[in-house]
Amino acid sequence: MRFGTRWPPVPAGILIGISMLLAFVVAGRGIGASGAMTRLVAWVQHGLFPVATEQSAYFGKYFADGAHPLNDYVVFLLVGLLIGAFVAAWLSGELRVEVLRGPNITTRNRLLLAMLGGILTGFAARLARGCTSGQGLVGGAELSVGAWTFLLCIFAGGWMAAWFVRKQWI
Amino acid sequence: MDIAAPFAKTGLISAATNLWLAIPIGIIFGYALFHAGFTDSRRIAWAFYFKDVGVPVVMFSAIVTGMIGLWGLSLAGLIDISLVYMLPTYLVPMAVGGVLFGIGMVIGGYCPGTAIAAVATGKLDGVVFIGGFLIGSMVFGDFFPVWGDFYNSDYMGAFRLDQLMGIGLGSTVLLMVIIAVVGTISMIFVQDLVWGEKNTLKTSRPFMKLQGALVALAIVIGTVFAFFPTESFIDDTVETPFYIVPKADMTGTTP
Repeated sequence: MRFGTRWPPVPAGILIGISMLLAFVVAGRGIGASGAMTRLVAWVQHGLFPVATEQSAYFGKYFADGAHPLNDYVVFLLVGLLIGAFVAAWLSGELRVEVLRGPNITTRNRLLLAMLGGILTGFAARLARGCTSGQGLVGGAELSVGAWTFLLCIFAGGWMAAWFVRKQWI
Repeated sequence: MDIAAPFAKTGLISAATNLWLAIPIGIIFGYALFHAGFTDSRRIAWAFYFKDVGVPVVMFSAIVTGMIGLWGLSLAGLIDISLVYMLPTYLVPMAVGGVLFGIGMVIGGYCPGTAIAAVATGKLDGVVFIGGFLIGSMVFGDFFPVWGDFYNSDYMGAFRLDQLMGIGLGSTVLLMVIIAVVGTISMIFVQDLVWGEKNTLKTSRPFMKLQGALVALAIVIGTVFAFFPTESFIDDTVETPFYIVPKADMTGTTP
């Protein structure tokens, strides 16, 4: 049985679950994507404003005791994530530079909305202490009350806002 | 005694080895994200219009796999669950964060992990989304004193659903499997209702059989779990040093 490029959802989800389980078994923690990006921000900002960043109430902890913010588990995971997605797309012949959008929106507006959505999720992921993977999937598997609340609220928020941006997608 | 996993916490592997092993784990994650169709912002956004409910089904499957695996290994005595980092709950900040996150997801078409995977496959909207994500993270961090108190409010420790509902952990696992299955079936029903059966993505018959078998397996494992009391999964009577935050129902103290 060959799955082709787009696998049926259950086996695809199981493979994501297996990567999470491997992290539990090997590292005693879950997977995640947003933490590495916060560390990237801390690192770049530290290059520009070292003193202010080290004294920052939020970013300061990444530099405690001379630590390097990028020398962390989540950053190594992120490198793997990039390689894994690249290899999968390459083997499937799906490596293409393009802008994905619905039929009724211009490329420029799509990119503007991508930026806006990115800013909102970036802020929200920090407030919720993780993103869909690091908080939602991992916390979901750990049966965390906070994570399941987060997941439900993601779909509630998405459905509330869906009507306003429908032209972008359908 | 002598439970080997988690390897990095029991000292079986060094901290450096653990870091390097994160790369193959990330590769599997990224590989699966691509084949789940998550490098396409439209497919993710369509979930919010019930046009393609693959996204929540993939998420349900991933959570059920991780949940059965984690608690099953603990039950079998193969992983010391007290050494696994349990995410703490800050209820209201996480709820507000979730709503904002959902709004951002339907506007932007990605979440962080999927956007990174999309960048790796050449999607420019993913690149711009990540740019925005970095800005959003920076704003949160630099203006942290403004919302720091809210961020740290409503703290409940590592608080699990079985503790919330007052039922056994095994029964909770079964309940979550059932919620995943019923949730999936009802979302497919809504998808067909809203868009018409002809206009929605269909999975071919052999794949449906395979998926049906996998779902049945999850239900069977969940049912077996329901017969075990919570103490056989996790020793709730011992406060372990690794919990960065105290467990909610164990201590009267707040940090």
